[in-house]
Amino acid sequence: MTPLLSFLNVSKRHLDGGRDRVVLDHATLDIDAGMSVGVYGARGSGKSTLLRLAAGITLPDAGTVRFDGRDTASMTAGERSRLLRGAIAFMSAEDWRANPGESVVDHVATSLGSEGLTMRQARQRALRALDAVGVSASGAQDLAASLSVTARTRVMLARALAREPRLLILDEPALMPSLGDRDRFYALLRSAARERNMSLLLASEEMSALQGVGVLMSIADGELCSTEERGTVVRLPGRRQAGAEQSG
Amino acid sequence: MASASPEKTRWMRGPSTPLRGALLGLLLERPGHGGDLANRLAARLGETWRVDTNDVYRLLEQLEKTGLAVSRDEPKRTNLRRTHLVYYPTDQTPEALTIWMETLLPREPVRLGLQAKLSVARQEDAPRLLIALRAYERECLVLAQLVSPTDGEARSWPALCMDCTRDAVYAQLQIEVDWATRTRQRINEFLERSD
Repeated sequence: MTPLLSFLNVSKRHLDGGRDRVVLDHATLDIDAGMSVGVYGARGSGKSTLLRLAAGITLPDAGTVRFDGRDTASMTAGERSRLLRGAIAFMSAEDWRANPGESVVDHVATSLGSEGLTMRQARQRALRALDAVGVSASGAQDLAASLSVTARTRVMLARALAREPRLLILDEPALMPSLGDRDRFYALLRSAARERNMSLLLASEEMSALQGVGVLMSIADGELCSTEERGTVVRLPGRRQAGAEQSG
Repeated sequence: MASASPEKTRWMRGPSTPLRGALLGLLLERPGHGGDLANRLAARLGETWRVDTNDVYRLLEQLEKTGLAVSRDEPKRTNLRRTHLVYYPTDQTPEALTIWMETLLPREPVRLGLQAKLSVARQEDAPRLLIALRAYERECLVLAQLVSPTDGEARSWPALCMDCTRDAVYAQLQIEVDWATRTRQRINEFLERSD
């Protein structure tokens, strides 16, 4: 079976103050349909780069990222953009922007603009998605710009679900002041993914945010470590194959 | 790569293995009497372990029986008329240390075992340490994955207590993963600088 998303020896470098820094180093992973993967890592560990590569927002310097068997580097910018508005949804707490005077339901409905729906159809789909994340019909009429952080995160999830993606990528999605609210959000996310057989790729600086995932990974210094790992290659700086293999 | 036959790993049995392994590393650095080795161990391992001098003597005797240390009665520096046992490494000590560095430890004492290894590691042990740290990191991730997730609704006191317990496990494992990744990073940066 072809994995929904696959990374094969993917590397990415950034210039950091004039210094060439490896942000992702020969990462290899597969995500099948319906599978959930959590990536734990500190700030600057490379997890956002990993997610942006998975979403086709950036392209690898080496190696291959495939979505549904297609190499993202072989797609045109337009194809990648359509992919990100269709089969892949990307959600980050920092991406919240609501227009003044816009209701919650209109906020979700307008994000479906490229789906070829009428505004009435888009609103209906938005209402269904909002209902799925626990936002009532009356709550859907609230002003999007005045929502609490917790409510806003649910609306962002509804916006992602309304597109009916096959893969939902979440970068630290729930920066909430209440731990109870945060736990409820993640429980909701897990059940939404299960019901839709939707794959999840979720990154957080908090390991507890990744509870219940099928595969747990950590990332540090661009190197991935996974619970699914069968062989570990330890690379020593300056040497290509100076490492050793170890059965997991 | 050293070959780890059962005879060569027999000394690694029991909960004191990390201390015995660390003692081998210290002996290779320089010989010493029991009190000296106990002080050096305490200095390396800090407050993580309370190193008892009597235990160190007992462990040195065990190492001597397995041929990994040898003792000689030598005059004390402070009082030449009195003697004490000074322990030396044997021909087998370097290989035993290398095998220990390569050996994956059982789950429970793994962190302390890694700390003990780090405290006496030679630069040539870097690849073994990187592998051990990576294996430990993965072990912590596997443990985190085994924790059943919260249903997000702590509606009762027992459910809240369960959530708090779960949180404690995650917090502890997160610290462990952070430590393992940070240590790997430090070692890699050092090796990069010394290349």
